[in-house]
Amino acid sequence: MKTFIPFVALSAALAANAAAAEGKLTISVYSFAQDAYKEALYDPFEEICDCELVIETGNSVERMAKIEANAADPVIDMAVISSHDALSLAQKGLLQPIDTSKLSSFDKLYPAAQDPLGDNMGVGYTFYASSIVYREDLVTIDSWGDLLGDDLAGNVSLPNITGTQGPLTLMMLDKAAGGDASDFTGTISDIGAHADDIVTFYSRSSELAQLMNQEEVIAAPVGRFAWSRFKSSPLPFAWAEPKEGQAGGMNVMIMTANNGNEELAYKLMDYWLSTEAQTRIAEALIDSPANMDVTLSDEIAENLTYGADLINSLNILPPSTIIAERDAWVDQWNTEVIR
Amino acid sequence: MFLNRTEGLPLALPAALFTFLVFLVPVGILLSVAFQNVGGGFSLQGYVDFFAQPLNRTVFLRTLKLGVLVAAVSAVIGYAAAFCIVSLPATSRGRVFGLIVLPLMISPVARTYAWIVILGRSGIVNDVIVGLGLSRLPIRFLFTETAVFIGLLQLFLPLMIISLVSAMENVPKDAVPAARVLGANWMQVFFRVILPLTKEGLVVGGTLVFTGALTAYITPAILGGSKVLMLETLLYQKVNVSNDFVSASVIAMILIVMSFSANLLLKRIATAKR
Repeated sequence: MKTFIPFVALSAALAANAAAAEGKLTISVYSFAQDAYKEALYDPFEEICDCELVIETGNSVERMAKIEANAADPVIDMAVISSHDALSLAQKGLLQPIDTSKLSSFDKLYPAAQDPLGDNMGVGYTFYASSIVYREDLVTIDSWGDLLGDDLAGNVSLPNITGTQGPLTLMMLDKAAGGDASDFTGTISDIGAHADDIVTFYSRSSELAQLMNQEEVIAAPVGRFAWSRFKSSPLPFAWAEPKEGQAGGMNVMIMTANNGNEELAYKLMDYWLSTEAQTRIAEALIDSPANMDVTLSDEIAENLTYGADLINSLNILPPSTIIAERDAWVDQWNTEVIR
Repeated sequence: MFLNRTEGLPLALPAALFTFLVFLVPVGILLSVAFQNVGGGFSLQGYVDFFAQPLNRTVFLRTLKLGVLVAAVSAVIGYAAAFCIVSLPATSRGRVFGLIVLPLMISPVARTYAWIVILGRSGIVNDVIVGLGLSRLPIRFLFTETAVFIGLLQLFLPLMIISLVSAMENVPKDAVPAARVLGANWMQVFFRVILPLTKEGLVVGGTLVFTGALTAYITPAILGGSKVLMLETLLYQKVNVSNDFVSASVIAMILIVMSFSANLLLKRIATAKR
């Protein structure tokens, strides 16, 4: 009897484990705001699906490397990632097309979010505007070109070319100089000519927030998702509305090829894009909604990239352009800017 | 303790095995990437490609320059400090030695962030410079080579002082007075008496400081940022931004070679006959 009880307990535990494993979905997400995501998305979804969510976090490069390394036997079932990184994975054959008929909220998405990569390789779940945050007591910003002007010399920071904000800044500086965003060679050379006037090239928005709060920098381009870091500061920061408009980007949901867990992945995608979940995520100030039916208070909306007028006005750099040109941009950047 | 050398060897086996499995094998696998071509065969193309890029050459030379500079300046300051410490009475010596060691117990992250407060535009140094009228506007220190140099020097100077204090404690007490009585000036005392008797400490301290400066990541990352790239910050970029493990392995190999070379060179200098 003494040996029988542990044996039964062990069998029961193994059986329970096996049952749980059947309903397990592994997703790969950005590492920020995971506590808020748990509350707004993961926990409610687990209650509905009666399954277990396994969350893998990391930066884009790490997460992409993991998807690529496990292509033969995918560990990640579904991921959220920037549109150009998603396109890069799609071009390597690591993704499968998304059956949009399984997403009940698909028609509620902004048109730009419905098939941003082509061939239904991804679905946009959030937009972000990108503009210039600046000290309104010290300087005025009317144009993206002001970033390289004399007034900001020695007090401005730009995003590094290797980050998401880098190419967007190139696009808007090119636009300010009269370009049509088809060739950034001249813009990178222009930044190189002003390299000594730029305090540093930041990699993370948290790094920029620290620099600006320490008054090392008084103006810099940044994504709207980081605005709350500046808004809560005692220093008078403002969000610029340059005459060239704001840049914008989108993050997308993707499904890894041959993961064998498509049914659960579609369930999560469908839930994540629903008006209910998108509203909750927006109200927690995590991500701006891609679902047009989401209604937010002015107070919440002020912190996000919200509303058809704003989203339709964003200058979005095609993911295919970023993929095709990035290596050349980085080479020129390393030669002329970082030196 | 043991009758012969081989008797004690089995006791070292667990530590050797552990080091072999969790350090040497992974490092070997990682570094082997730097000697492989696309087909998996032996190739030095990774090194050719690395040094073909002007940015990489600049970063390599900057890392070497700062490493040498930090080691040299810490040796000069270290000798002065060590000479002063060994001249103190035993009780005071212990207290001062404790103060030298204290920074080593504080995280490099905290120590480096302190420099942001000190060297920033609204930091103490700029307050003094502007207050004294030496400059109308605050001077840019952060994100310059100067900031990285200061940060690295502060980080590794204690290692040099500790090494030199240990070496100087073994110098006979009468050696310096004897040299002085025989007519040597202070420069001669240093170069003909103190330096030869403490060269082992200088080799140990120099190696620790140089290799530390070469491989420190936090300080160059925070005080230099992307404008003052060093080999270690470039390595991080290659892995975490570019996913370029070949270049990262090449950089790791270069850092290892630089560290061993510095040690061999210093030993050579120390053992060279006058």
